[in-house]
Amino acid sequence: MAFDANTLRAQFPILQLEANDHPLVYLDNAATTQKPQAVLDALMAYYTTSNANVHRGAHYLSDRATAQFEHARDRVARFINAADSDHVIWTKGTTESINLVAYGLEWCLKPDDEILITSLEHHANLVPWQQLAFRTGARLRVLPLTSKGEWEPEYERYFNEHTRIFACTQISNAIGVKTPIKEMLAAAKAVKAFTLVDGAQAVAHYPVDVQDLDCDFYVFSGHKMYAPTGIGVLYGKPHALEVLTPVQTGGEMVRHVTYNSTEFNVLPYRLEAGTPNIEGVIGMTAACDFLANQDRTAMIEWEQKLARYVYDELKFNTSIEIYSPAVDTTVVSLSVPGIHTLDLNGYLDSQGVAVRAGSHCAHPLMAQLGVSSTLRASFACYNTLSEARRFCDVLLEAIEILGDD
Amino acid sequence: MTDLTRDAIQTRLQACTSKETTFKELVSLSKQLERLTDADKTEENKVKGCESAVWLIEHQDNGVCTFQADSDAKLMRGVLVAILSLANGRTKTELQAMDLATELSQFNLSSYLTSSRTNGILGILKQIQT
Ligand SMILES: Cc1ncc(COP(=O)(O)O)c(C=O)c1O
Repeated sequence: MAFDANTLRAQFPILQLEANDHPLVYLDNAATTQKPQAVLDALMAYYTTSNANVHRGAHYLSDRATAQFEHARDRVARFINAADSDHVIWTKGTTESINLVAYGLEWCLKPDDEILITSLEHHANLVPWQQLAFRTGARLRVLPLTSKGEWEPEYERYFNEHTRIFACTQISNAIGVKTPIKEMLAAAKAVKAFTLVDGAQAVAHYPVDVQDLDCDFYVFSGHKMYAPTGIGVLYGKPHALEVLTPVQTGGEMVRHVTYNSTEFNVLPYRLEAGTPNIEGVIGMTAACDFLANQDRTAMIEWEQKLARYVYDELKFNTSIEIYSPAVDTTVVSLSVPGIHTLDLNGYLDSQGVAVRAGSHCAHPLMAQLGVSSTLRASFACYNTLSEARRFCDVLLEAIEILGDD
Repeated sequence: MTDLTRDAIQTRLQACTSKETTFKELVSLSKQLERLTDADKTEENKVKGCESAVWLIEHQDNGVCTFQADSDAKLMRGVLVAILSLANGRTKTELQAMDLATELSQFNLSSYLTSSRTNGILGILKQIQT
């Protein structure tokens, strides 16, 4: 399988658009990726040939929809190498997955217990734990990782007999750095904490193997891996899913109901109350197939090469500060002291270049970096070297226009 | 405070036919804004909910309002020049009777105003009226 971004691009109709009278250069992929034709086709095919509610009355369409729905669970289980498709719970995204765990584990926390996260988390992997701590009297502790993702051995003391839950991102969304996830998981497991890995920024780029990671929970969003919005996954080991209190109750997740009692259904249904996002689930199959059809090694090498190109082009420019690592990343997060990132973003947008200016839902990390916001260019498989070059050129123009007083 | 009248600003922005020309015009307008001193950039004077930092100060003289504003972002300073040209020299009653968002939209700033819920422009307009 040869990898060629230009060929791949043709599968993404939206990339043909112009934006503000310029060819669209979409470099906001860490926020959400564009969707290949195969995913769009899958959604259309679902509504034109299979639309029905799932797991309900037996009729032709319902059987078709249910079969495709459960096939998607198998597909995603294979995609992340889960041992069984029952370990895959559908959610609406990473945020909901984390909240399901944060509420579902509330019963096991008491004052003096500790919930451990790192300093590189997205608010989605911070606020639910902070609120859980507020509700239970447990302490939220933050393992300081450097912006290079470095972790010093003495930080092992953060993992202790009080640690009940350890939740950590695999890759920082704000600066694109990888965390030492395996070492940290090992330390967390040594103290018998529940472990959750936020894979939101990993799934589109790196093959994921949840059994190899050996975490209790792994969470991600479809929309960041070429699938539709509104669908996500909570993977869990059976014993871990089993102990989650269902946060949402209602139809589908029950076996038998009287006015005095309810017998819950088995996993995975017990944690999936109500009619699910069937089209999103079916879109996940197409997105997993799309990724599986690529040469994943060549793909990630390409994405990293684009980030590296930008890094190398800008690293000697004294007006620019880069917060992302030089290698092993698909993101370049930077700031230009004296110029607001929103102004830089405004000029890039006027030239058709889509990036993200802001705090990237990571206020504490911004404080650690000593900035209020950064400008983030994030690459996906369909980006080209000329797009990376265009980003650099337009950024330098912006600095010239904006930096004159 | 700026020397440009509302009409002059409106004419300049309406002449812009692309996002790029609007961008450059806003950058140029931003230079007209009389900046606040650091002492005036207090937490109290800060308008909440803005993506960039925005400070707004109100003075009243015989019921006539004069506003001073500043931001750490240039585009926002350009937009503030437009907003101040609408608001300055009016009484509170006059300001409350105005539909400031609609008036501002006549400055050809629609793409800046569509995101006004997140960039906080509506919050600035509201504060001017209260
Ligand atoms: C690392 C990380 N975690 C969590 C999230 C939240 O994902 P979602 O908004 O899809 O729930 C994001 C999305 O930006 C992310 O990058």
